Amino acid sequence: MNADQLLERIATTLKRDIGPAVESEYPKTQAFMAGVVLQKLGRQLGLQTVHSAADEADTQALLGDLRLALEQAPAPAAVAAAVATLAAQHDAEALCNLITALYDSRAALGEARFDALLGRVRKNLRATIDRRMVYAS
Amino acid sequence: MSAANDTKLEARILDYLKSRIPAGRDFKLENVVRIAVGWSHETWLFDLLYREDGREVNSGMCLRRDPGNALLRHLSSLEEQFRVLKCLEATALPTPKVFWYEDDLAILDMPFLVMEKVPGACPSPWGRDGRAYYQAAADRGTLPASFTSTLATLHTLDWRAAGLDFLGVPSTGPSFALREIAKWKELIALSEAAPEPILTDLIAWLEANAPSSEHVTLVHGAYRTGNLLIDNDRISAVLDWELQVLGDPLYDVAYVLSDLNREGTPLLSNLVEREAFVRDYERQTGFTIDVERCRYYNALYAMRSVAFWMSASGLYASGRSDDIRLARTAWSVPVVLERAATELGY
Repeated sequence: MNADQLLERIATTLKRDIGPAVESEYPKTQAFMAGVVLQKLGRQLGLQTVHSAADEADTQALLGDLRLALEQAPAPAAVAAAVATLAAQHDAEALCNLITALYDSRAALGEARFDALLGRVRKNLRATIDRRMVYAS
Repeated sequence: MSAANDTKLEARILDYLKSRIPAGRDFKLENVVRIAVGWSHETWLFDLLYREDGREVNSGMCLRRDPGNALLRHLSSLEEQFRVLKCLEATALPTPKVFWYEDDLAILDMPFLVMEKVPGACPSPWGRDGRAYYQAAADRGTLPASFTSTLATLHTLDWRAAGLDFLGVPSTGPSFALREIAKWKELIALSEAAPEPILTDLIAWLEANAPSSEHVTLVHGAYRTGNLLIDNDRISAVLDWELQVLGDPLYDVAYVLSDLNREGTPLLSNLVEREAFVRDYERQTGFTIDVERCRYYNALYAMRSVAFWMSASGLYASGRSDDIRLARTAWSVPVVLERAATELGY
């Protein structure tokens, strides 16, 4: 049995058998809520490998597009540095830094280029959040 | 908390109340009910019975204790709540009369306040029964009008005369919105949550687009059914004074107009028709509802919701709370971020 399947079974037990058997309101709510948490965690774990691979592919594609955009016209140093960091780290913190650098460099980039670069980053953000919604909602 | 501990606490509450009413005797507590466990402050309702000057007194009371691990952390203060309610007693806004605030931990282990138990009910709008209650009230028509007129009263009361300027008066321009953003950034930082790129985008967008306020009024911060006590189809008290600020009244209006509090019904807050609300609110306040500014505040509410859920799940993760409902909110963060992305157009 996989970890996600195990968590799903325990969640079902908590919600179907344990929660209803508890009389006191507060611990009853806690039992049900523990079931909900384990269920969501199980789904998240079950999708982790697939989602991580999709996130990585999206990041590679984003980096390719950003490098191309930066080759076509020089970008402010803060944006170039943030892209380099993202290329090295491939994580949410680096993506946050890139978004901050884009907003901070908005005037230097000009509205059209700012919109284009942020729009490209947002394409990745949308794809990632759609994946997370599969288990979060 | 166990039943034995509850009984001990009741005895300590009674001792405290005796000390505050020295002329009274034969004190007893009846109809003691504890509501709202864990999310925020602990709330106890009871009737205090005693004799004074030869007459029987029956005083309905509400006691709120601050366990120190509430969702809003230091941003929610019982002392401020007490001061706000005290200031509001002299206004036309229906609010509970407050009696005492204590920060001496020797009395009941936590800071607490005691206020009047106002007659009325506060059905939760989230369940089936609550939705049915508000739908029936909407059909009768009196409560929707009371909902709107009470918000108009809140937004038109003279907050300077009431002494509410201690809440901090925003200057003209975008300072109100920027101050709110800073407050929720602080809560997010305290939660020590993992970086969220959509949140970074949202905050940067909010800071870049902060609107100027035309009016400064008292703002409740969470004006909706579920935070309003209802008696005989009228609002008998505005409750939950945890998020109040001085600022743009459209911040409250945006909350009323949003999809957040209507559970899939077309009625605002499960209760009021949008057209009637807009018409009556504008007529009663003299303010014009700027839909674009309300959209901005909706995005700000998304940021606030993320801050709430990050704070809540952070309290569980750090061991400051054992309430599993708080752990559950970790999965509410992506749900709100998805809504924020939609608000930002992607």
